Amino acid sequence: MIRTLIFIGVIYVGILITFSLIFRQRQKSTNSYLLAGSKLGSVLGLFTFAATLFSTFTLIGMPDFFRTHGVGSWIFLAVSDAVMVFAIIWLGHALREKARNKDFKGLSGLIRDCYQSKFAGYVAFFGAFIFLIPYVSIQIRGISIFLNATFPESLPTWAWALSMVVVMLIYSETGGLKAIIYSDVLQGILLLIVIWIASFVCISYFGDMQNMFKKVEQTNQALLSVPGPKGLFTTQFLLASMLAIVMIPFTQPQVVTRIIIMKDQRSLFRMAVGVGCFAIVIILPTLFLGMYGAVKYPDESTAGFINKVLIQDQSESVAAFIIIGLIAAAISTADSQIFALGSELRSLMKGDDKKVMPITRVAIVFFAAISLIFSLFSSDQLVLLARTSFAGTALMGPMIISGIFSEKEMGPVVPTATLLAMALFVGSLLGLIPNSLLGIRLDITLFVLLLATASITYYVKNNGSLTNDSEEIKS
Amino acid sequence: MNKSLYWIICRIAALMLVVITFTPLVMPAGTHGPALWGMPYTLWTGIIVSILLVLLTFIGTRIHPGRKNSEEQ
Repeated sequence: MIRTLIFIGVIYVGILITFSLIFRQRQKSTNSYLLAGSKLGSVLGLFTFAATLFSTFTLIGMPDFFRTHGVGSWIFLAVSDAVMVFAIIWLGHALREKARNKDFKGLSGLIRDCYQSKFAGYVAFFGAFIFLIPYVSIQIRGISIFLNATFPESLPTWAWALSMVVVMLIYSETGGLKAIIYSDVLQGILLLIVIWIASFVCISYFGDMQNMFKKVEQTNQALLSVPGPKGLFTTQFLLASMLAIVMIPFTQPQVVTRIIIMKDQRSLFRMAVGVGCFAIVIILPTLFLGMYGAVKYPDESTAGFINKVLIQDQSESVAAFIIIGLIAAAISTADSQIFALGSELRSLMKGDDKKVMPITRVAIVFFAAISLIFSLFSSDQLVLLARTSFAGTALMGPMIISGIFSEKEMGPVVPTATLLAMALFVGSLLGLIPNSLLGIRLDITLFVLLLATASITYYVKNNGSLTNDSEEIKS
Repeated sequence: MNKSLYWIICRIAALMLVVITFTPLVMPAGTHGPALWGMPYTLWTGIIVSILLVLLTFIGTRIHPGRKNSEEQ
C-alpha cells in the first residue's frame, strides 16, 4: 500500500503546487487573493461549498456518529442540510444584495457597515474566531489521530497535525482563495468516489442492505430509532442542531464568502440545489459505514474503528485513495476556515493593500498556530465539537440577518445581546453555568431570545422610521 | 397566480416539512418499523423528507421573486 500511497500522494501534491503557482501569478489585488475575483460559476461553487461543508467531520465523524447513536444521525445532518439549502435560496439573495452595496470584503466588515458600528463588526469577528478555531481543530485532530492509528510506527499525532498545518499554510498563503477553491473541487470528487467505494465494501459484507439492518437489529436494536442507544437524539437536540446548521451559510465566514462570490443569482440557485443533492449522496454512504461498524466494531475507539473500516477492510489501492482523500478533505476545509479568519480581520482594517495584506498573511499563520495547539488537546468527539462550533456561530444569526434586511441603522442593542449570549454559551461549555434553563437547552433559549430582540429592534427601527417618513411625505 | 404566491406556498410547504420531521410521523420514539427495503422507519422517512426539501429548493429556484431582477444584470 505504501507504494500506491506515495504515488497518489505525489500526484495530489503536484496538483496542489500547480494550482497555487498558477493562481499566485494571477493575483493582482486583495479581491483576487481573498475573494477569488468574485465570479464563481455553479459547478465550482457547488464543489467548493460542499468541500468546505463536508470534511473530516463527515468522513470520520459521521460514520462514528451512526455507529454510536444510530439512524437519528440522518435527521441530525441530512435533513438539517436540506433545510439549510432551502434557506440559502430564501435569504441568499438579500445577503448578496447587501454585500454588493457595501463593497464586501468579509462578514465582520459587512456587519460593521450594516450596523454602522465598529462594535458590531468586532462582535462578528469575535464570534467567528471563538467558534471557528475548534472547528478547524477538528479537521486537524481527526486526520492526525487517523494517520497515527494507520501508521503507528511513523509519526506521533502532534507531528501529523504540524505537517498538515504547514502544507495548508504554504498552499493557501501562496495561491489564495482561488487555489483553495480548485483544491476543493479535487477534494469533493475524490471524497465522493472513495466513500462510495468503501461503503459498497461494507454493504457487500452483509450481502445486501436488508441483511445489514437485520444484523444491526440483532446487535443493538436501539440504533434503528430515535433517541438512539445513548438517548442523544431528543427533539430538543435535533431542533437545536437544525437551527445551528441552517445558520451556517449566514454566520460562518468561509461559507458566507462562497455565497457572495458566486457569479450571479442563477449560479447561486444551481449551487444550492447541487449542495442539497451532494449532501444526500455523501451522507448516505457514511450511514452504511456506521452500520457496518455497529455490527463489526461496536466497542472500538473512534480512531480504531475508522482505521479498520476505511483502511484494513479495504483493498490496498482503495485504502491509499481513502488516505489521500481524507487528507485532502481535512486540508481543504481547514484552509478555507483559516483563510476566512484572515479575510475577516482584513475586512475590519482600513488602508491600502500594501499595508494591510502583510498583516492579513501574518494573521492567517497566527490563526493556524492557535488551531494546531487546540487540536492537540481537543476531544475525539468530532461531530459534537463541530456541532458546538455551529451552535456558537448560529447565535450571530439574528444579528446578521436583521442587519442584512434593515434599511435603517439598528443601534447597539442586538450586537450587545449577541456578545452576551455568546459569553453565556461559552460559560455553559466550560461548565460555569447550567446548559439548560427550565428544562430547555441553553442554545435554543439564547437563540430564541436573540431572535426576539433582533425582531423587535428591527420592527422599531424600520417601522418607526417608515411611519415618520410617510408622515413627512403627507405633510 | 403570480410567482410571489407560489413562492409563499413553497416556503409554507418547507416549514411544514420541518415541523412534520419533529413529530412521531417521522420520529416515533423507540420504534423502528415499518421498514422499507430493510431500512428502519425513521431513516426512510428522513430520506424522503430530505429529498422533498431539496425538491422544494429546486422549485424555489424557479419561482423565487428575485430570479428575474437578478442583481447581475
